[in-house]
Amino acid sequence: MVKQKKWSALIAFVCLMLVFTTACSGNKDNSDGDKQTPESSKEVITDWSQEEEVTLNVFSTLANFTGEQPGWFAKVVKDKFNIKLNIIQGGLEGKLATQMASGDLGDLIVGMGGKDYTDAVKAGLLLDWTKNGMLDNYGKNMQKYAPDALEANKTQYGSGTAIYGIGHNVGTGDGPSEGATMTFGPYLRWDLYEELGRPEIKTMDDYLPVLKQMQEKQPTTESGKKVYAFSLWSDWDGDFATLPKVHAQLHGYSEGDGFNPGSLILVKADEPDIQPMLDDNSYYMKGLKFYFDANQMGLLDPDSLTQTFGDVSTKFKDGQVLFAQFPWLTTTYNTPENTADGKGFALVPFQEQQIYSSGFNPYGGGWIWSIGSKTKHPERVMAFLDWMYSPEGVMEGFNGPKGLAWDLDADGKPMLTELGQNAMYNGDTAVPDEYGGGIWNDGAGNFGKLNNTTLSTSQINPDNGEPYDFRSWTSELTRDPDPVTKSWREAMGVLTDKEWFVKNDQVAVTKAFFNGQPPADEPSDIKLKRSQVGKTIKEYSWKMMFAKDEAEFDKLKQELVKKAQGLGYDDVINWQTEQTKNTVFTLYDK
Amino acid sequence: MSASLTEASNAPRKKERFQIKNKYKLFLMAFPFLVLGFIFSYLPLFGWVYAFYDFRPGIPLSKSEFIGFHWFTAMFSNEVQRDEMIRVLRNTFAISSLGILTSVLPVIFAILLTEVRNSKFKRMVQTLTTLPNFISWVLVYSFAFMLFSVDNGFLNNLLMSLGLIDTPTNILASSNNTWLAMTLWGVWKGLGWGAIMYIAAITGIDPELYEAAKVDGASRFHQIWHVTVPGIIPTFFVLLILSIANFINNGMEQYFVFANAMNMANIEVLDLYVYNVGFTGSNFGFATAVSIMKSIVSLFLLFLANGLSKAVRGETII
Amino acid sequence: MAIREKFSLFDVINYIVLTLITVACFFPFYYLFINTISNNDLSSKGLVMFYPKDIQFSNYVHVFKIPGLVQAAVVSVGRTVIGTLVTVAASGLLGFLFTKQEMWGRRFWYRFLVVTMYFNAGLIPWYLIMRDLGMINNFMAYILPAIVSPFFIILVKTYVESTPIALQESAQMDGAGYFTIFLKIVMPLITPILATIAIFSAVGQWNQFYDTLFLMTDQKLFSLQFILWRYLNEATSVAEIMKQSGGAMRVDASMMPTATSIRTTVTMIVVIPILMVYPFFQRFFVKGIMIGAVKG
Repeated sequence: MVKQKKWSALIAFVCLMLVFTTACSGNKDNSDGDKQTPESSKEVITDWSQEEEVTLNVFSTLANFTGEQPGWFAKVVKDKFNIKLNIIQGGLEGKLATQMASGDLGDLIVGMGGKDYTDAVKAGLLLDWTKNGMLDNYGKNMQKYAPDALEANKTQYGSGTAIYGIGHNVGTGDGPSEGATMTFGPYLRWDLYEELGRPEIKTMDDYLPVLKQMQEKQPTTESGKKVYAFSLWSDWDGDFATLPKVHAQLHGYSEGDGFNPGSLILVKADEPDIQPMLDDNSYYMKGLKFYFDANQMGLLDPDSLTQTFGDVSTKFKDGQVLFAQFPWLTTTYNTPENTADGKGFALVPFQEQQIYSSGFNPYGGGWIWSIGSKTKHPERVMAFLDWMYSPEGVMEGFNGPKGLAWDLDADGKPMLTELGQNAMYNGDTAVPDEYGGGIWNDGAGNFGKLNNTTLSTSQINPDNGEPYDFRSWTSELTRDPDPVTKSWREAMGVLTDKEWFVKNDQVAVTKAFFNGQPPADEPSDIKLKRSQVGKTIKEYSWKMMFAKDEAEFDKLKQELVKKAQGLGYDDVINWQTEQTKNTVFTLYDK
Repeated sequence: MSASLTEASNAPRKKERFQIKNKYKLFLMAFPFLVLGFIFSYLPLFGWVYAFYDFRPGIPLSKSEFIGFHWFTAMFSNEVQRDEMIRVLRNTFAISSLGILTSVLPVIFAILLTEVRNSKFKRMVQTLTTLPNFISWVLVYSFAFMLFSVDNGFLNNLLMSLGLIDTPTNILASSNNTWLAMTLWGVWKGLGWGAIMYIAAITGIDPELYEAAKVDGASRFHQIWHVTVPGIIPTFFVLLILSIANFINNGMEQYFVFANAMNMANIEVLDLYVYNVGFTGSNFGFATAVSIMKSIVSLFLLFLANGLSKAVRGETII
Repeated sequence: MAIREKFSLFDVINYIVLTLITVACFFPFYYLFINTISNNDLSSKGLVMFYPKDIQFSNYVHVFKIPGLVQAAVVSVGRTVIGTLVTVAASGLLGFLFTKQEMWGRRFWYRFLVVTMYFNAGLIPWYLIMRDLGMINNFMAYILPAIVSPFFIILVKTYVESTPIALQESAQMDGAGYFTIFLKIVMPLITPILATIAIFSAVGQWNQFYDTLFLMTDQKLFSLQFILWRYLNEATSVAEIMKQSGGAMRVDASMMPTATSIRTTVTMIVVIPILMVYPFFQRFFVKGIMIGAVKG
C-alpha cells in the first residue's frame, strides 16, 4: 500500500515537474530575450569583424535549404560581419504561418511579399528602418544604389513615414533586365539543326516538321533510349500547365501584369492588351494545340504526364530531348564534353517571336528583404543587408570573393580565374580551405542559400564598368567559345541571345509600374474560385495535349470552358482584368 | 501492505471504504497522464475559433473579420462545387471501403506466417515484409515510375519483348481501376507492418488451447478457425472500429504522388482535394473549418461503430 | 504445436505464397539499394535492375559528409530510445488502469483520451501551445507529447482484457497493490503487445520529422529523418517556388534537384538501423509464448 502510494505520487510529481519545468524554461528564454540590449550604444560601427560572433536566423521564403549557410559564402559573411547565417526555409507549407502567428519572423526576412508582407507590417513583425537612425547610419548603400526602392516601400507599406523593407532586383535603365540569356526562348539541338541546313522558321508551328526530321536523324540516344522533341513535366503547374503557357512568353505575354496577383489572364508586356487564358485564340490555348499536334506526330514524350522535373532534367542530360523552353534547361546537356564534340543546344529563333522580358525596375520587385522587429542585432542585420545592396556585396554574393573565382585584369576589368572557369560550370569544383573549403556549390547561389537578389545583376557595376553577372563580362564573352557557341555566333552574327533579340526587335519589355499603392489584395472568394478553376484548367490541359484526335481535343476544350465557368471563371477574369486596367494599364494612358 | 489486507478482509464497512479509496487511487494514478492529454490535445482546440474568422496569422482575432459559417459552406456554394464535392466524397468512400475490406489481409498474412514452423524463414519473411512501410511515398512513386513508365519502363519492355503489345502505354496515366490500384499499393506498403499486431495477438494465445484442440482431434484448419481466429478477433475489431472512424481521413501523400491529369477525377480524395484547392497553406480559417468537420464526422463514426459493435458482438472498445 | 506434423500441401502453398509476398516487398527495397551502390550514370539511365553494376560507394561517402548528420543521428537515437521507453511505460500502465472497473469515472476518462485521436486543432494553435510550453528548440518536444498515445492505450487495454483475470484477483487477495499487480502479474503477460507498441512507437519516433520542421530552428536538434525529408521534399519545394513565379525564376545549381541516388542513399541510411534493431524485438513475440505457457 505504502509503496504503491509512493509510486503513484512519484509519477504524478515527475510528470507535473516535467510540464512545469519546461513551461518555465520557455518563459526564461523569453525574458532573456527581452533583457538583451542592442549591441552598440551610440557610435556607428563600421568594422563588424571585431564584434562578438552572432548567429542570425534568416527566414527565407525562397530558400531551398535549411540549416547553417555552408561554403565560401559563409566564410565571406563571417569575415566581414562575424555572423553565421542559420537559414530557415520559409517556403515550406505552414512554416510562414506559424512564424507569423508566433510573432517572431527571425532576424532577416528574405523574399516575403504580397499579402503576407502587408500582414506582417500590420502585426508589427517588421522593423522600421527610419527609427533610431538605422537607415542613415547603416543603410548608406541602399540609399545610394536603391533610393527609389526605399521610397516605394515607404509609400506602399509604411504610410509615407516608415520603411519596413526593400524590394528585390532593383535596377534602372531601358531594355531587358535579363543577362546574356533571357528567361524563356526556343532552344534546339544546334548540331542536328545545322545538319538539316538550318531551315527557316516563321511560326511556332514550323518547329514541328523540323523537329520531326531531327528526331528521324537521331531516333535514339547512345544509351539506346528513344529521343523525343519535347519532354514536359507537371509538378510545377499552378493554375495552368506551365510549359504550354511558355507559349505566351514567346509571344510577349505573361500571366498577370507583373504587379497584381493575376494568373488567369495573359497580359502583353508592352501594350494594354489582355487575353483571358481560356479564350479561343489565347496563346495558352495555342500552346495546348501545339503540344497536341506534337503528340500526334509522335514528338511528345508520353511520360510527360507522369514524370517530374527531376526526371526530365535527367533526360536532357542524356540527350533524350531536342527542344528546350528555358535556356537554363540546356545546361545539363551543354557540358564541356558534349560541346567539344559539337553537340549542344542553342537558340533557334522564329520570325514572329516576341520574347517577354522584365524591364529594369527602380522600385524593386515583390520579393522583399526586411528585418524582424524582435531582432537583437538590428544594426548588424542592417549593415549586412546594406552590404548586399552594394556593388561589392553583389559582386561577391554572386561570383564569390575576389581572388577565388574572379579577379580584375590589368585594365581593371573582371575576369574568371582558372578556378572560376571550372567552378562556374561545374559546381563540384573544390574550393581552397582559406576560402571556406568544401565545393563551389556549397556557397553558390543568390547570396548563398538565401536565394534572392538585391540589385539587378545585369546592371553595370560602377567599380569596373561591367555587369555583375559574369556571363555578360567582355572577358567571358570573348573567351575562346566552345564549338557549338562558336558555330551559333557565326550563324547569327551576335554574341549573346539577348543581343539577337534586341537587334531584331523581337523582345517585349515591361515598364516598371508604381502608383504608391501596394498590389491588389485578392479577396478570399476570388481566391477560392481561382484555385478551383485553376485546378480544372490544369487537369484538362493535360488531357487535351494527349487527346486521341482533333474531335476529342475540341470536346475536352468545350468541357473545360463549361466547367471553369461553373466554378466562377468569369468572376476571376473580371476581377483580375479590373486590377490590371486600374493600375498597370494607366501607364499607357498618357 | 499486510495491514491493509487484514483491514479489508476483517471489517465489511472498512472494505467499502477501501473500495472507495481504490476508486480514487486508480484515478490519481491516471491523473498525470490525463493532464498531459489535456495539455497536448485539448488546449490547442482553442484554435477552432479561427474557423469563424477571416483569420490571418499574426493579426489578432479582434482585428479579423468575423464571417460565421462562411468557410463551412464555401465548398458547397453552387452546383458545380457540389458536384465536385460529390465526386471527391465518392472517391473517399470507395478507397476507404476498399481499405477496410483489405484490412483482413494482414490478419490472414499473420495467420499464415505463424503456421510456418521454420523459425528462420518465419523471421526473414516477417522482417522483409515490413520494408515497404519504411519507404516514403515519394520513393515508392519513383520505383513505380521505373516499373511502369513508357520510356524504358520495365513492364512495357517486358510486354513488348514478349510480343503481347505493339506500342507501350502509360500505365500510371491510366484512368482505369485507380481505386483498386491505390488500394493495392496501400496493401503492399502496409501488409507486413499491419500484421505485427496480429502476430503479437497470436503469440499471446494460450498454447494449452491448441493442445486441447489437438486432443479433441481438431485438424489444423479447425485449430486456426477455433483457436487462432478467436484469439485475434478482439484486436481486429478494435482496429476495424478505429479505421471506420478514420473513414474520411485517407491522408494525402500517397494520392498526391500518384495523381496526374488522367486519374485526377478518380484519385482525388478529400484530403487531397482540400490540398489541391490550394487553401491549406494559406487560408487557416478554411483549413480549420475542414478540421472541425472532419473531427466531428470521425467522432460520429467512432461512436456509431462502437454502438454497432455493442449491438452485434456485445462488446465495446471505448 | 511441438509435435512434428507432416509437411502438407497447405505448407507447400503457404511457403510459396509467403515467398512471393516477401519478394514483392523486398525487391523494391533491394532495387533502390543496388542503385545506391552502382555507377550513378547507369543507375540514372535505369540500367541497374537486378544486380549492382560498377559497384561504388561514393553516394554513401557523399551522404556521410552531410553536415550535422552524426548529430542528427544522436538526436534520433535519443528521442527514439527515451520516447519509446516512456510511451511503452505510460501506455502499459494506462491500458491496465482502464481495465479496472472500480476506477473513478473510468469510462469517461478513457473516452476523454480516446477521442483526442480524432482531434485536429490545426497547425497554428498547436504551434502556439507548444511555444507557450517552451517546446521551441527543446528536446522535450520530442518526448512529452508522445507519452499519452490513445491508440497504444486501446491496444493494451484490449490485450489485458483478453488475459485471465484470475491471476490478478488472486494477487489482490494476497494484498498486492495495483502497481505491484501491474509490474509483477500483468506486465509479463502482456509482453507481446508491449513489444508491438515499442516497435510502433520506436518507428514512429524515428520517422517523425514534422515536429522538427516546425519547432526546431537549432541545427543541433535536427533529427535524421528531418534531414532525409528535406532531401525528399526538395523537388516539391522548388516546384512551390516555381509555382509562385510561374516559371519565371531562373533555375540555378541550388534549385536543381539532388540526384535520386543521393536521396535513395539517405533513405537507406535511415531504414537500415531499423532493420538491424527489428529482429531484437521479434524475440519478444516468441518469449510471449513461453511465459504464456508457464502461467497458463
